[in-house]
Amino acid sequence: MENNGIALRKPVKILDGIPMLIICIVICIALYILGITKTFSNNTMRYLLKIFLYITMGEMWNLMSGFTGMTSLGQQVFVGIAGYSVAVFTSTFKMSMWLGLLVGAVIGVVFALLLSLILFRMRGMYFAVATWLIAEAVRLWFNSWRFVKQGAGMTIATSQIPKVRELYIYALTLCIIALVVVYILLRTKTGLGLTAMRDDADASSSVGVNIFKSKLLCYLICSLFIALAGGMFALQKGSVLPSSSFSIDWTVAMVFIVIIGGVGTMAGPILGGIVYVILSEFLAHFPGWSNIILGAIAILVIIFLPDGIIGTLQKKLNFEIFSQKRLSEPKKVKGLKEKANMA
Amino acid sequence: MSEPMLKIEGVQAKYGDFIAVADASLEVPEGKIVSLIGSNGAGKSTLMSTVAGLHKPSAGKIYFKGEDITGLSADKIVTRGLSLVLQGSHCFVRMTVEDNLIMGCFPKHVRKQTKDSLERIYDLFPVLKEKRNDLAGSLSGGQRHMVAIGRALMSNPEMVLFDEVSLGLAPNTIKGIYSRIKEIHKQGTTILLVEQDTHRAIKTAEIVDVMLKGKVVLTGSPKELSEDEIKKAYFGI
Amino acid sequence: MQVIQVIINGILLGGIYALLGVGMTMMFGIVKLTNLAHGEFVIIGAYLSTILASALGVDPILTIIVTVPIMFLVGMGLQAGLINRVMKIGSEPALLVTFGLSIILADAMLLVFSADAQRANVPYNTASIKIANGLNISTLDLIVFGISLATIVVLSVFLKKTFLGRSIRATSDDLEAASLMGVNVNRTYAIAMGIAMATAAIAGMCVSMKWVFYPSSGGNYLLTAFGVVVIGGMGSIPGTMIAGLILGLAQVIGGANYGQLIAYVLMVLFLAVRPQGLFSK
Repeated sequence: MENNGIALRKPVKILDGIPMLIICIVICIALYILGITKTFSNNTMRYLLKIFLYITMGEMWNLMSGFTGMTSLGQQVFVGIAGYSVAVFTSTFKMSMWLGLLVGAVIGVVFALLLSLILFRMRGMYFAVATWLIAEAVRLWFNSWRFVKQGAGMTIATSQIPKVRELYIYALTLCIIALVVVYILLRTKTGLGLTAMRDDADASSSVGVNIFKSKLLCYLICSLFIALAGGMFALQKGSVLPSSSFSIDWTVAMVFIVIIGGVGTMAGPILGGIVYVILSEFLAHFPGWSNIILGAIAILVIIFLPDGIIGTLQKKLNFEIFSQKRLSEPKKVKGLKEKANMA
Repeated sequence: MSEPMLKIEGVQAKYGDFIAVADASLEVPEGKIVSLIGSNGAGKSTLMSTVAGLHKPSAGKIYFKGEDITGLSADKIVTRGLSLVLQGSHCFVRMTVEDNLIMGCFPKHVRKQTKDSLERIYDLFPVLKEKRNDLAGSLSGGQRHMVAIGRALMSNPEMVLFDEVSLGLAPNTIKGIYSRIKEIHKQGTTILLVEQDTHRAIKTAEIVDVMLKGKVVLTGSPKELSEDEIKKAYFGI
Repeated sequence: MQVIQVIINGILLGGIYALLGVGMTMMFGIVKLTNLAHGEFVIIGAYLSTILASALGVDPILTIIVTVPIMFLVGMGLQAGLINRVMKIGSEPALLVTFGLSIILADAMLLVFSADAQRANVPYNTASIKIANGLNISTLDLIVFGISLATIVVLSVFLKKTFLGRSIRATSDDLEAASLMGVNVNRTYAIAMGIAMATAAIAGMCVSMKWVFYPSSGGNYLLTAFGVVVIGGMGSIPGTMIAGLILGLAQVIGGANYGQLIAYVLMVLFLAVRPQGLFSK
């Protein structure tokens, strides 16, 4: 078969390594300084902190769906749990919002651990709808649970709500940690194995990765960060409601962010998060139209740019940002492909 | 000389970047029974899927009864009288045997003859008549092959392509199926048989084509070709 | 007596649940598509019936003469024009497109119809038939059950006995073999979506008579429909009936506060234990 070998593609430029690292660090430091020195107005920081939180959530949803093939429609359950935890600890128990956030994150992870027992028996669309069912069931539960004031919702004790500048710093920090965690995770054996599994279930078993453990790790990390981001969103809003804290709109946002940016790329959700916040702020001027337009944009992107903005640019211009491929990788991947074709 | 029933000219077929059929040319004259042999991975099955319209060729032309059918979808090609019996037992497993057969008469112009065709197929494969109300999924491998063959014959096609009908069957079953194929041929159907079993293919066919690495490398009648020649072409030595 | 009453109510509720699920089952089993917009289709059907019935001053049941063909054609167009295209990209994008559609439709209905509660008024709303002492059957429930049952029976016969129905089943079993029989797969998918939409129109009509509904109610009906698919097994119409009964019973036992919750938990458990459904293979 030598003569009908695989067509050679142009070498891919990988934007990675020291220069990229320096650029990232500079951007992060600049964002911190601009926040601390009050160079940004409160309004700007409000926008930016939303962007940071949405990037965190988008990156996590992408980790599950784009990199490991678990498409969840129920991650809003962690947003709601953490939000309620903050509300209960500050209002009912008169304690610190940090405790509320921490407990919310812990409950989120423990809940995720329990759910994994059920969810990991399912695949594809079953997984997707089961996660949604669970989120809806939890919402219904909160809706009739007296302790959290049923459908009326709760407010967060005002004394505990941080200033915009503080929240900005927390959100920025969370976002940076989330990005670093995803970056590192995808480069470990676990991450590479998961990507292999998404692309080809047989190939990954030959890599020798314990799929269950790897998927679980991703799911737990994802739940943890979404819970933290959700808790911060609750702090920003000052109140929680079953219908909005457990709303499917959170998942709509995450899906939108990932689709626009590019499924399975690390840079995609960053761009997606920025686009989402700007767009939804703009669409707030047209009450009722927001989701219609976001939905239409998402569908058009799926049809005409299935790889998203970043993914399409990467393919067209032959580069990859934060690539999973290292210099030694391409050879191995090719070997696998060739084997698959021979069979 | 009259126009061949099926004419394949320089067909190329790919899966992504992988070229499965490089440059295949082949002719099947009307009323003949032709065998296409070749080792595993030579591209025979891909070529059959391409002819039947399941796979789009990336280059080349395919003519059926003198008409260009290149790139037509499978459902249009079958209406023109060219049927393919797929490799393995591709039955509708959750449907009864009779429903499977009736599906063979799906093209509008043959729907009227459903009853007659059923009788004809039941005569050819009496065991299917016994099992007419069983689910196809409950049948044995050989019986599923019969269903698949019978189904392809329901619409009275002028030409049938058989893709490795003997694969995974017991020798006795193979014998039975081959005798049915010969019977169909006698009734006037043109046949192209894809086989890995060289011996059987040479015994049955009037013309033998050998495929190697995505190309047809040898053509001739089994009488003219020596076994040595065929072997050489088959293994590429 | 109470127990029998609960069982009867559960069975009657099961009928409409089965009807909600049957369209989703078709898409799931035949097109291999999870249509997350199915709930919105049902609500669109409910609005169409309510509006037509009050505009023409007729019984909502009569409106399906108009709504079913309209929804059938819209469904065919949607599948042929949009979803078939997306399905070529992959099953995940297809799932997300139906998700996008559901969001768009829910908010579009909110714009057009406002958030007010709606319900179709029928004279037999509160009427009931007394069977024994303390044992009553609501006339409306009985009618809705009858319509659901009739729809499902007609659909089963269509799938079993007609060329088109057989071709739909064949496509679901083996796509390649079906196209080799002369079946145009894209067209079959469009017809399947058309049928699913038509059943959503009928289900929507039943919903509009039986319950109060809002533009945002689609999610509930989607999850119920999905539950029916999950418990009944995909593509199995008798399974769908029984699943509807199970969910109907759960709903009746749990009452207004916990009925939905119990039903959802039940669905998740079924998914975990038998993801392929109770009645498939």
